[in-house]
This record gives sequence, structure tokens and C-alpha cells, in this order.
Amino acid sequence: MKKTILLSIFLCSFSVKAQENLLNLLGNDNEPMYISYLFKGTKVVNGQSVELPSKGVLQFTIQHRFGTLNSGFYNLYGLDNSQVRLGFDYGIKDYLSVGIGRSSAIKKIDMNSKFRIKRQIKEGFPFTIVMNSAIYIKQWQSADAQLEAFLLTNQLSFTNQLLVARKINRDLTIQFSPTMVHYNLVEKSVETHDKYSVGVGGRYKITKRLSLNSEYFYQLTDKKNNNALSFGFDIETGGHVFQLHLSNSSAMIAPEFITKTNGNWLDGDIYFGFNISRVFTITK
Amino acid sequence: MERLITSFFFLFLCVNLNAQQYLSLDGVITFFSEAPLENISAENKKVSAVYDSQSNEIAFQLQIEDFIFPKPLMQEHFNENYLESDIFPKSLFVGKVIQHKNGKAFVVGDLSMHGKTNRIKVEGSLKQEDDKVIISSEFIVKLEDYNIEIPTIVMYKIAEEIEVKVNIELIEVK
Repeated sequence: MKKTILLSIFLCSFSVKAQENLLNLLGNDNEPMYISYLFKGTKVVNGQSVELPSKGVLQFTIQHRFGTLNSGFYNLYGLDNSQVRLGFDYGIKDYLSVGIGRSSAIKKIDMNSKFRIKRQIKEGFPFTIVMNSAIYIKQWQSADAQLEAFLLTNQLSFTNQLLVARKINRDLTIQFSPTMVHYNLVEKSVETHDKYSVGVGGRYKITKRLSLNSEYFYQLTDKKNNNALSFGFDIETGGHVFQLHLSNSSAMIAPEFITKTNGNWLDGDIYFGFNISRVFTITK
Repeated sequence: MERLITSFFFLFLCVNLNAQQYLSLDGVITFFSEAPLENISAENKKVSAVYDSQSNEIAFQLQIEDFIFPKPLMQEHFNENYLESDIFPKSLFVGKVIQHKNGKAFVVGDLSMHGKTNRIKVEGSLKQEDDKVIISSEFIVKLEDYNIEIPTIVMYKIAEEIEVKVNIELIEVK
């Protein structure tokens, strides 16, 4: 009997304690806390970032690249030469998006899909990993198509890349992008069709709405041209993201800026460019 | 036999003490703010709440990231720029029902979010039905009270006051 009374007193005091601490009942849910917003935009500068448009969101991007800064006042330091890429990206799922775009000067249409494999988790998995696959079609005129040597497959090139990013702290994100570019048609028969490279990029938030981005693509195999180095600012103003950047490449699609960059920073072959993106929520 | 009954009596007494609590893990809190260009609204359906009808204590807790906006970009800005959910992931209210008459209730307590805690007094309804307690309330939160900055250069201006609605059905803890 004594034991029971003691036990019940113990239990009572326990339940009183539980009442005092209501918050314990609320529980700490053990759901993993995903790290979000590694970059402001879906691109670091030229290359893709691990960010995707959210599900049901259509993103319209207008990209501009001007001529080189060292082209003199006669060309208004490059502003007279401009090329454009118009692009649409759409989030089918939160982890899957598709995009289409067209670059003016090189007349190429590109299509890509991004698939998020893993997300960075607070005190858990350290990286966000996204697979990006793209196909590029060089446009032709009917006269070209009548040539005997013309093959549709020769107009195609491809990029496959794994984007691995880590938000180190709330301001700094670093991304590695091992990349394989494949050309169906190469300029010389001795050239390899597959070209491997690795991109290193990152962003640093200077203020809540302004970040400094940088990106470098190092060609591991079959290097014919320079490596692309780019710097940019992302400025966020409500519904838009403005990206202003400087790069030694004027191209806006991966095969071009990774393997065909002619400009040299030290010689002043620097291209100024900007991207404007606007998002439209299509479905909830 | 007598002993056994007394023992049980004592044990049940304890269990009863504990049976005055009501819990919910899927309460709804929404907020709304009228802004010149675009109205801002969001809904959180994962609010946990607990109410103790004996001590009259009441507490709510939610994860800032669980607020769902009609536009994902708004949600991003809400988390990244305004509430800074990476640093302050939770919002918490701990209070006490100080008056309860005909379903109407006054609650006084501490509301914390974005690293700041303020004492607020809120009017709402609190209805007890069988093994359920239904709580609803509407109140105004001033952003300034919680150190939430309103930037001057954004496309959509954000109102300085936000209308918050609470709707929670709590079930008795057994």
C-alpha cells in the first residue's frame, strides 16, 4: 500500500510537472530541415545553379551580351554589338524543371531539364545535388539542308552536368559543376567529341537583396580555347532578378562558353552583359 | 481488496490530473496584408497547439517555413528577407486564458518571432465540445514590434500591420 501511494505521488508530481511544461507536449517535430535558397537565380552567372523554378512557376529570362569593353569608343565599348538569348523555364515539380531558349548570334536553340537529386539538410546531408541535361540545335536554312553532306544529327550538341552546391552560411554558397560537353560534329577529325570540364562558382550575399557571384570553368580535356571566368551581381527587386556581369565569354549556353571562349581578361576582352528574369505563377 | 481499490483510486487520480489537456498538431494560422500592388497572404496548416483547461494555460508553436504562399517567390522573400527563418525557424505563443464567458475568451501571453518577444492581449472564441476544444481568433501584428524591416526599394510595398487569423481544433489528450 505504501508503495502504491508513493508511486501515485510520484506519478502525480510527474503529471503536474507536465502541466507546467505545456510546451513539451507541442513536441519537437523531427522533420529534416532543408536548406533553401542557395542562389537567387537559376544561374550562377552563365552556368546553371542548383536552383530551379518552383512548381507551377514560369520564368522568363532575357539575356543580353554586348561586345568587348576594349573595342573602343567607336563601338561605345561594346554596347553597339549585342546578342540576346530569350528563355523560358518552367517548374513541373519542385524537383524537376524544363527550359527552352534561343541565342541570337550563334542561332542555336537549346532545351534543358534540371532534376534535383538531393537537398542539403541542416545537420544532415551536406550538399544540394542537381542534374542538368541540355541539347542544342544549330539552326539551318533550306539551302544548307539541300547539301548532300547535311545531316540533322550534325547540328546537335549536348551538355550533361552534375551541380553540387553547399550553402556554407547564410551568405556564402559554393558550387562545383563537373560537366561533359558532347559535339556530334567537331571541326577537326582529330578532335574528341566529348569534352570534360569542371566549373567552380559561388555567391556571396552583400546585403539581403544584393549578391556577388563568380564562376570559373576549367577545361580538363581537349582545351582549344580559354577558360571562362565571370563575375556578376544579382539584384533582387520584388518580382524581378537583375543580373549584371562581366565575362571573357559572350556566349550564354554551356558548350559555347565552356569550350569556345576566345576572350582573355588580361587583354581586356571583357564582355558586359545582363539578365533580367521575371516569374509568373501559372498554377498553384 | 480494500487496499487494491484504494491503490487504484490513487492511481486513477493521477491519470485524471493529466486528462485536462487538449492537443492539436494541424491547426491553421493564416495572415493577410493589404498592399497597393499585391495583397499578401499565407497559410500554415501545421500549427501545434496545446490547451490546459485546468490551469487555463495555452500555447501555440509553428515553423515559419510551413507558411505556404500562393506565389513561391513571395514565400522565398518572406523566409529569406523578412522573417529570416534560417536564424529564427519557429514562432511561439505562450499564454493564459484570463477570462472565459459564453465561448468568448481573452488571452494574455508572450508572442515570439524573429527573435523578439512581446506581450499581447488577444480576444477570441474558445468552445468546448465533448472531447474537443475549438479556438479561433483574429488579431493584428505590427511588423515593427518584431524587428521586421520593410525595405524602401521593393516593387511591392508591404503593409506595416498584418492581420493574423487562428483556427484550431484541439482534441483531448488521453
